[in-house]
Amino acid sequence: MENTFAVEIQGLTKSFKDFRALDTIDLKIKHGEKVVICGPSGSGKSTLIRCINGLEEFDDGKISISGKPQNPAKESYVSDFHIGMVFQQFNLFPHLSVIENLKLGPMKSLGLSEKDAETRARKLLERVKIPEQALKKPNQLSGGQQQRVAIARALCMEPKLMLFDEPTSALDPEMISEVLEVIVDLAREGMTMVVVTHEMGFAKKVADRIIFMDEGSIVEQNSPGTFFKNPQTARCKKFLNQILHH
Amino acid sequence: MFRVLILILILFSLSSCSSPEGTWGWYVIDPTTKAGWTNIKFLIGGFYSTILLSIIAAFLSIFIGLVVALPAMSDNKLLKLFNRVYVEFIRSIPLLPMLFWVFYGLPVIFQSLGLKIEIDAFWGAVITLAISDSAFTAEIYRAGIQSISRGQREAAQTIGLSQFQAMRYIIFPQALRRILPPLANQFIYIVKMSAFASVIGMQELTRRANEIVVTEYRPLEIYTLLILEYLVLVLLISFAVRWLEKKLGSNESNSN
Repeated sequence: MENTFAVEIQGLTKSFKDFRALDTIDLKIKHGEKVVICGPSGSGKSTLIRCINGLEEFDDGKISISGKPQNPAKESYVSDFHIGMVFQQFNLFPHLSVIENLKLGPMKSLGLSEKDAETRARKLLERVKIPEQALKKPNQLSGGQQQRVAIARALCMEPKLMLFDEPTSALDPEMISEVLEVIVDLAREGMTMVVVTHEMGFAKKVADRIIFMDEGSIVEQNSPGTFFKNPQTARCKKFLNQILHH
Repeated sequence: MFRVLILILILFSLSSCSSPEGTWGWYVIDPTTKAGWTNIKFLIGGFYSTILLSIIAAFLSIFIGLVVALPAMSDNKLLKLFNRVYVEFIRSIPLLPMLFWVFYGLPVIFQSLGLKIEIDAFWGAVITLAISDSAFTAEIYRAGIQSISRGQREAAQTIGLSQFQAMRYIIFPQALRRILPPLANQFIYIVKMSAFASVIGMQELTRRANEIVVTEYRPLEIYTLLILEYLVLVLLISFAVRWLEKKLGSNESNSN
């Protein structure tokens, strides 16, 4: 296990009709590594992480999760190496209460008893600092609280890898920090994670590596220090200028 | 709607002050006379068949509709095609020709196959109504299920639910509240369309009204009563549906 990578991608290619979303991507992510992916919209960031957990089919290439090759056909991977996902739009289940949102996966998919699932869910609500909202419906919460519930729901499956797809892009500015805090805590505890985000301050703080994507390819990747101080390519410089000095 | 009802009741009461030669002939359904009471009992007796026919047809339609709608959600092109062909084909057949085809045509097919299956007026009407309506219920299911965003399905997938579990715990409970009102609409439609069963001789509301009209020559009075009979039936269904919707809405807060 220690010798293998958490995620190993070789030659990953995917097209939507005529549009090439991913163009022969190679990427290896170590266990415990925190990777931030940035880049202009339409550059393939979301598509890449959606391929990692099977939400998106891919045309060519290989993806291995913790040494196990995955099928390119769309399927969700439930195994001992579970992958958690947090979406830009939260995607909480609106007809279920917060605690039910958390309990559903462990009960139906992992086969936990209601009591065990409840204990686990309560613990995670404490961790994302909203234990008092357990019985409310998602639409009674603020955006920041909803996204924290979504993170807790993903953690309830005890994932070995967490994917974040622009977790703060749908939030009001004053709620961004409360969500980022939770993700930073998670990073400190050693969770392997891939985060698509434009929050460069956050990237500086937690990332082991920053990947810059454009037009379906990885253009540049580096440690945060080098990435921000000394970008290697013109495209990356331009992007950083736009995002840091607007 | 209640104003219309009151207006018609006033019309009824006017019957007593009509001229002796009589443009009005409400006596045919005057409950105070023996003949009038007999007529009313005969007419109202049609409720039983109309209600039974509608309920059985509606249940069958709700079931067939679901069976037809589910293939539309699949990724399999052949299953999707089955759904489209069924819906387009059945939806384009007018009810009356289909009723004739089932009642007069289908037994010929059974006969040529050596099957001894008889179709009486009741079951002929049930089958026709159920199949004809199922194309519409299938579309209602499809619209309701597809109105639930893709993100819901994806979120279900990322917490390890199977496709069936996602449907059972996430998609269907949310779709149900959107499906119920149009389904109720379809039930009202079935109740009204069941009047067509009169032409193949089923003794439901419309058939009975026709029979009295033929013997009494009082179409206005009898058809007025017939319309009122349907009105009462449909209003009752509407109230029941409102109640059910409310109950479902309030249940949502603690559903699982």
